[in-house]
Amino acid sequence: MKKFTKLSALALASTLSLTVLATAPTASAATCTKKTTVEMLGTIKPEIQTEFLAAVKAYNSSQKCYTLKSLPGDRNLTFLQNVTPMYAAKNAPTIMYTLQEIPDMADKVMDWKGTKLVKLVSPGLLAAANVGGKQVGIPSTAEAFGLLYNKKVLAAAGIDPAKITTRTQLEAAFKTLQAKGKKPMHFSAIWWSLGAHFTNLYHTNAAKTHEGRLAVLDQLSDGKKDLSKDPVFQNWLATFDLLKKYNSSTTNLTDTEYPASIESLASGDYGFLFQGNWTEPDLIKAAAGTDFGIMPLPISTDAKAYGNDSIPVGVPGYFMIDAKQSTKAERDGAIDFLTWLYTSPAGQKFVANPSTKGGMGFIPVYSGFKVQPATNMAREIAKYVGAGKTLEWINTYYPAGLQETVGKVSMQQYFTDKISSAELAAAIQAAWKGSVKTWRGAAK
Amino acid sequence: MIFLNICFIARNNEGDQVPSVRATKRFIKFAAIPLSIFVFVLVIPFINGFYYTFTDWDGFESTKLVGFSNYTKSFQDPTFWSTLRFTALFVVVSLVAVNAVAFGLALIVTSKLRSRNVLRTFFFVPNLIGGVILGVIWQFIFNSALVSLANKYDWTLFKESWLQDTNKAFWALIIVTVWQSSGYMMIVYITGLVSIENDVLEASQIDGASPLRTLLSIKVPLMAQAFTIALFLTLRGGFMAYDVNVALTGGGPFRTTELISLHIFQDAFLNGNFGTGQSKAVVMFLMVALAALVQVTISKRYEVQR
Repeated sequence: MKKFTKLSALALASTLSLTVLATAPTASAATCTKKTTVEMLGTIKPEIQTEFLAAVKAYNSSQKCYTLKSLPGDRNLTFLQNVTPMYAAKNAPTIMYTLQEIPDMADKVMDWKGTKLVKLVSPGLLAAANVGGKQVGIPSTAEAFGLLYNKKVLAAAGIDPAKITTRTQLEAAFKTLQAKGKKPMHFSAIWWSLGAHFTNLYHTNAAKTHEGRLAVLDQLSDGKKDLSKDPVFQNWLATFDLLKKYNSSTTNLTDTEYPASIESLASGDYGFLFQGNWTEPDLIKAAAGTDFGIMPLPISTDAKAYGNDSIPVGVPGYFMIDAKQSTKAERDGAIDFLTWLYTSPAGQKFVANPSTKGGMGFIPVYSGFKVQPATNMAREIAKYVGAGKTLEWINTYYPAGLQETVGKVSMQQYFTDKISSAELAAAIQAAWKGSVKTWRGAAK
Repeated sequence: MIFLNICFIARNNEGDQVPSVRATKRFIKFAAIPLSIFVFVLVIPFINGFYYTFTDWDGFESTKLVGFSNYTKSFQDPTFWSTLRFTALFVVVSLVAVNAVAFGLALIVTSKLRSRNVLRTFFFVPNLIGGVILGVIWQFIFNSALVSLANKYDWTLFKESWLQDTNKAFWALIIVTVWQSSGYMMIVYITGLVSIENDVLEASQIDGASPLRTLLSIKVPLMAQAFTIALFLTLRGGFMAYDVNVALTGGGPFRTTELISLHIFQDAFLNGNFGTGQSKAVVMFLMVALAALVQVTISKRYEVQR
């Protein structure tokens, strides 16, 4: 095994040196005088810690120049809370991984422009980590959210999810499920699902171009947007009302709602759940092998309306490399590790294989992947990505704290009928008004 | 505490022949290590943090002085005010409730009950459970256990989770706080109760005082010190409550049950507003210091010298 990885790394390195001579260091073949330790904060996410650490171990034994060390950090603390003391102590980790704090980190990290990895990613998935022309980070994987469904339940009720293309058809499917004695929908009230993902359904449908969507954010920040006059917002509200109407779960506003929602869909009593593909391993585990699918949540009654046939696909986090407190060797090592992880056959296995095979179950976002995802939902998402039927995650551009303010307050209030739809629109507008335009690269 | 130690040492040396030299030597021997720790982990970071409130600190570095703008921004934040009101209410109610329950428990376990030693342990145990775990346990009780029992036996009060209603979530916070800290305060009150000399109590008995009269006129005045300590601890605990708040309600529903510590934490580490977060923390410090000073001054007046 070891011999194989060495050989393949050598082969890879030699082909690379032939083809892309001038690009970033491919240290697998590079010579080094002493071993450099490269520190990374965290393990991408806690759920895949074991698999990630196994990948780190494999990497460390695959070459002689670098030792990658994962610092656990404190999971109960936020990213900024972990990272600020390390910077203050002049002991910053070389590799960092985050999403919403990208604007905060932009002036402290390396520009990925011109590296091998960045050329393998489609520009759409790089945009969120491009701050004022500087490529601050590179993506780990793609995730998607939408309407998840229990395949068995839908099949038994005779519902073909591919034929649900409008909000009206979705309501018909809900009614069919009710008629069959099933609970149509678990609409989760958990704040981050409402505040980040459900609100994104409006923002991503609000305009057909990236620039147009950011312009909506500009207007909201300037206080010039009247949401109630936007037909897309009206559709979005109608969808919100529809899901509330057919929601058959008991309202739970606390964090225990998340496992409860997985339990519901896995139980076989519910047809649909609004969530993301990150639930797939837990769903399969809880349902003892039953398959689950993902489909768009259509907000318009017109099948041809923009976005009705697409699912929001985005990057849950980006890798950044510190440029202020690291040495050249540490940065080279960091690049080398991530390049190994996403381009070498050994690394790709850890990335794309399902957890049952010791992998992290990621959906590949770098071209030239030899290992393909094995689970149903991941394959379906790959199909949407392949067909270009994806919507942008505008929630990536929300200013820090906004999804909490909106999700924990106004969205949950509307969910529990504490406020009217007009009050919801006003509350969202108020939350946005005056926020710093970090999506335009503005500093706080 | 350290300042108290210093005073204590200085007072002990008043009668010495060569006080200044010996006192200094002793002082260095006793206080050098704790004092330096106190300076490095408390005084310096505190001054540093105070300085940051006048800069544009973003958690990483500060580039310029901005005067009082962090403070003006803090006071213009309507959620800061609503959090302050909520915290004040929480402090007052928890202060009364914890001390009332703790004093009651102390009276029970110092009476002639046979099970008093078992009860002491029993009442104290909740204090040994960490705030976060405790919050999670009670979240389960309020969210799931009580709700399913209520649905089974038709108790209207618990049919909807208490944590989904601002007022009920407030009482949930109070219940858990009382459950957690009354055992500890009970110990303080027990110490006060058992330190009362028997001859005084016997004298009151011979004079024919009823148990209630003994309690109010003999016991309470003689253990006023215990009240000073317990009230101070609960006051401080109320203002600084964080872990139970995070684990039990998480500030929900609708961010209406955020106490001041959680609010400051969210402002700094979630919204990334380190400047206003830090200045709110300074405001909180001033409030706690002022409230504690007033409380201790008042309670001290009721203490009697024996």
